[in-house]
Amino acid sequence: MQPFNEALSIMAVGMITVFLILFLIVLIGNLIIRFSNKFSPEIVAEVKSKKTQSTSENTFAAISAAIDIVTKGKAKVTNIKKI
Amino acid sequence: MEEILSKLYEMTALSGFSYQVAIMWVIAFVLLYLGIKKGYEPLLLVPIAFGVLLANFPGGGMGIVPAEYIDLEGGRYKNLFEIAHDYGIMNYLYYSLIKTGFLPPIIFMGVGALTDFGPMLRNLKLAFFGAAAQIGIFSVLLVAVLLGFTLEEAASLGIIGGADGPTAIYTTIKLAPHLLGPIAIAAYSYMALVPVIIPLVANLLITKKEFKINMREMDKKYPAKHNIKNLKTVKIIFPIVLGVVTAVFVPSSVPLLGMLLFGNLIKEIGTSTARLADAATGPIMNTATIFLGLTVGATMTAEVFLSPKTLGIVVGGFIAFAVSIAGGIVAVKIYNLFAKKKINPLIGATGLSAVPMASRVANELALKHDSNNHILQYCMASNISGVIGSAVAAGVLISFLS
Repeated sequence: MQPFNEALSIMAVGMITVFLILFLIVLIGNLIIRFSNKFSPEIVAEVKSKKTQSTSENTFAAISAAIDIVTKGKAKVTNIKKI
Repeated sequence: MEEILSKLYEMTALSGFSYQVAIMWVIAFVLLYLGIKKGYEPLLLVPIAFGVLLANFPGGGMGIVPAEYIDLEGGRYKNLFEIAHDYGIMNYLYYSLIKTGFLPPIIFMGVGALTDFGPMLRNLKLAFFGAAAQIGIFSVLLVAVLLGFTLEEAASLGIIGGADGPTAIYTTIKLAPHLLGPIAIAAYSYMALVPVIIPLVANLLITKKEFKINMREMDKKYPAKHNIKNLKTVKIIFPIVLGVVTAVFVPSSVPLLGMLLFGNLIKEIGTSTARLADAATGPIMNTATIFLGLTVGATMTAEVFLSPKTLGIVVGGFIAFAVSIAGGIVAVKIYNLFAKKKINPLIGATGLSAVPMASRVANELALKHDSNNHILQYCMASNISGVIGSAVAAGVLISFLS
């Protein structure tokens, strides 16, 4: 019975640890979100104001999505001009 | 003349051919068929199957020899040159790349660079169901011990329930390396069978009303307290802080989780580290996958694979998988008893790793019951937390038993 008892204790410790770590993940995640919301809110206002001057919202969204897929998120559309 | 013919016969593989070898060839052909024709995890199943074939060509010298063969007196081992000289290149690869535990963390680095923690960060509460779904690992550990497996073997068998190939392989290398072949095969086969196993368990445990719980409507009714204003910053800070915390609490999970989080970090930083992320997900991960598959397959020689324990692993692995899925579903059901904001139990079913297939299957199941009920991003939250959960569970097993 000793291996079974040992397995039982591993089960108890294991499940508690997994829950504890994921609880910490939830906690840490929430803290990071609050921290970044407070100290590093996104700066997008300027970009949005530029884009609508010459291009419609839908066209901008379509081009942005295409660029995002082709460059795997490495490039970002900030301005579109008709030449 | 007779002597020449006899020498010729000795030289070919025919002299070492036996019915056990024939069975292993059939197993290899079936695995190749499943990988090539049926598309079951072909990136791993094809190298594993070919590794099985290579290991079972009599006289080919590609089968992995038991660890006792490389033991020397005084707790020392043969060096890699001696291993290559005595037992061939496959043993050289196995003892340098697998036995050292090198490849699974390398693959985890690539997995990290392919993982997006965004869905999890947007629905952090759902991460708990990734913990509940680890119950299959520990339940099968108990049952396997009762069936006569040693604790180390039972833990390696149970970890199949984590539905994470590199985690299962890493744990088995550390605890029961003699079972590596069958456990890797079982883990990847059941991962390929996720589209069959999840619906099977879900239909048994989830009612029609529960299938129709619409997560977006629930979000509208009960909106989140904190919306993320700058997801990019959060995504960069998250792997760094998480890495530190898990390293403090479960240091034995660091080889896997640490590399996963490093891979994720170089992806999230963006352009300045994009070359590293490309290397981690492309050349490094692909090379690691080839060597992992071939060497794991080569451990499956007839003498090792054709034993009653293999059957136990196949059955036990399935139970571990099914119990893990059920554990996640039951956890959601219990949560729903007490919470106003209900959660679709299918999200619990994706608490095992198998990213992103488990989420895709759960989403399709939800859409079957309500064509407007898209739950993919919610499933991904518990699915990704399942990757972390199974790595933590592996860390606990290794720290207790190795």
